[in-house]
Amino acid sequence: MIDIFIILYSMTLIYFALAERVSKYVILLFIQGVLLFCVLFFSLYKIEIFDFIFILLETILVKAIILPWFMNKVRRQNQLKRENDTYIPVFYSIIIVVICLLVSFFLSSKLQDTQIHSKYFTVAFASVIFGIYFIIIHRNIFSHVVGYLIIENGIFLISLALGSKMPMMVNLAVLLDVLMGVLVLGIFVNRIGNTFESVEIGHLTQLKD
Amino acid sequence: MIILYFSIAFILASLVFFFKNQTVNRIMSGLFLLSQIGFNFYSISNIGKYDSIYYKFDALGGLFSIVLSILSLATFYHSYLYFQRHEFSKKQESAYYSALIMLIASMMSANYAENIALLWVSIEATTLFVSLLIFHERTKDALEAAWKYLFISSVGVAIAFMGILFFSMAPGINGLSTLSLNNLIMNAKDINPLWLKIAFLLVLTGFSAKMGIFPLHTVTVDAHTVAPPPISAFISTSLMNVGFLGIFRIFTIIAKTSTLYWAQNVLLIVGIISITMSAIQILRTKHYKRMFAFSSLEHMGIVALGLAAGGIGYYAAILHLVFHSFVKASLFYQIGQVHSIYKSYYFKDTGKYFKFYSLGGLAFLLCFVCITAIPPSGLFISEFLIFKALFIQNRIIVAILALVLLTVILYVFGKNTLHLLYADKPENVDLNNVTINKFETLSQFVLLGLVIYLGISPPIFFTDLINSAISILK
Repeated sequence: MIDIFIILYSMTLIYFALAERVSKYVILLFIQGVLLFCVLFFSLYKIEIFDFIFILLETILVKAIILPWFMNKVRRQNQLKRENDTYIPVFYSIIIVVICLLVSFFLSSKLQDTQIHSKYFTVAFASVIFGIYFIIIHRNIFSHVVGYLIIENGIFLISLALGSKMPMMVNLAVLLDVLMGVLVLGIFVNRIGNTFESVEIGHLTQLKD
Repeated sequence: MIILYFSIAFILASLVFFFKNQTVNRIMSGLFLLSQIGFNFYSISNIGKYDSIYYKFDALGGLFSIVLSILSLATFYHSYLYFQRHEFSKKQESAYYSALIMLIASMMSANYAENIALLWVSIEATTLFVSLLIFHERTKDALEAAWKYLFISSVGVAIAFMGILFFSMAPGINGLSTLSLNNLIMNAKDINPLWLKIAFLLVLTGFSAKMGIFPLHTVTVDAHTVAPPPISAFISTSLMNVGFLGIFRIFTIIAKTSTLYWAQNVLLIVGIISITMSAIQILRTKHYKRMFAFSSLEHMGIVALGLAAGGIGYYAAILHLVFHSFVKASLFYQIGQVHSIYKSYYFKDTGKYFKFYSLGGLAFLLCFVCITAIPPSGLFISEFLIFKALFIQNRIIVAILALVLLTVILYVFGKNTLHLLYADKPENVDLNNVTINKFETLSQFVLLGLVIYLGISPPIFFTDLINSAISILK
């Protein structure tokens, strides 16, 4: 069952490279959130019921509802529609995301560490690398925040891959911190949109010697 | 106890934020400083004890908290003066004070965190609050610097979190004590060295944005340039100490394993590249605050070299951080005064400072002597010990290269200091509505005096704290 969700997750990565509309990014973030929730639901059956419900709830609330909703709000405020300002054409991006996935397949089959669930690790690693790539190729800072969220989702999967069980309070604090971070990033995106009347990174090059 | 402190900080910060009133700001800041100092005394007298399962009052955290408390006193005072000189709306002023209170509280949390995931949470929290403070002046430059700082630090810190996750693979660790520092140090030998190396690299890269060393140092440099001077003083002192603490905690885990030598080599490379970058870029800068920022980069590079050298280098690295904090903070406070006369941070707009305000000129000269590690500055002793450690470890080429580069930095710093103090008077300086409080400069003399005193005859209490902080590495 988990395999399906993992494969679906890696498909969202390819779709991220393919999509040209900003609204698609928001939808894809929502889908990733739901998929992470499903993965969690099927992988964490061994823990206490209270912890289980709590972790599931916080995941679905933050990853699948609050963050996509907030990103959508930011998108509307800045009237972002078509995203045709990547440095690299879509065609090459698709090739690169596929290479990312392949490399992480080879890497995780090479590792052979008994403590790592290589299924999760493959997609997680690809997600982190692709998130960084996504930030690099885009000219607008809204997409940079999307890239940051892709990295965060990848790290979430890595924590599952390594089977790390953090104390509940710490887990909650980590999630809250990420949430706060994205909220502040979104506020700054709006500010930049208002001040420069555009969210292109090209405007932010004044500070130098 | 630490929970009580956080609740007080949070309540005071929210009161400041909602009342938007100057008197409330001052009263709440005073109350916060009282609770900060009180908590600091409590934590120092309880060193070695746990406070809840997530926090432990350890020696290094204690030392950095003392530095933090002293600097918060000075920073609140200089922020008060900053608001007297510049016109800001009440909303901006209260947002500034509440973010400052929360920033100090989250740095305290980072200092004493025993669980490395919690350490990560605190460091991420400092990023959020400090980016709000960088944005305080609401200019386009401030917006750019705040965005870059927030975004690059967040991505960097997220990468550091990945590194921290790798530590959770240590065998025999589960339940509430997962990722507790004590447990990790005890079980470090059983972790696969490959994972240790990857984790160390990721954490070093991530927290380098906070500590202001090589890979991600650029964001801190930009942040220094536009932040209000009291905040710049914080970014390049206590916040850098927090970044160092993040790297140092991971280093202590590695110190007992066979990976130590490898990690030291990495730190050596990072340190020497930082110093090189600083020496190259400081030559081109035209802005006092950027010059100080590159000087911070250099000093953090020296600290990394100290960790890389080992032995007496550990002791000297921590000593260096403490001294650097006091000196760099007084430089930034002083540059606030310089700005109130010349209304500019650029070299070309300044000159004859000694004539305009001789006490400030004297403070600046003393700051210059201290920051470039000329005796009797305490930094001389720490740098001397670090280079001694490098020579003992046979890292002679690195040590000589670093010394040559330090000469370049000394030259640039000296040239621009003398320009500020003695160059011809710039044309359009209006001294009529300049008010400088004499006590303002006094705070800088106190900090510099502290550096000289601690360098020449460190009290037993101080050396004991540093020695017990590094005892875990031996």
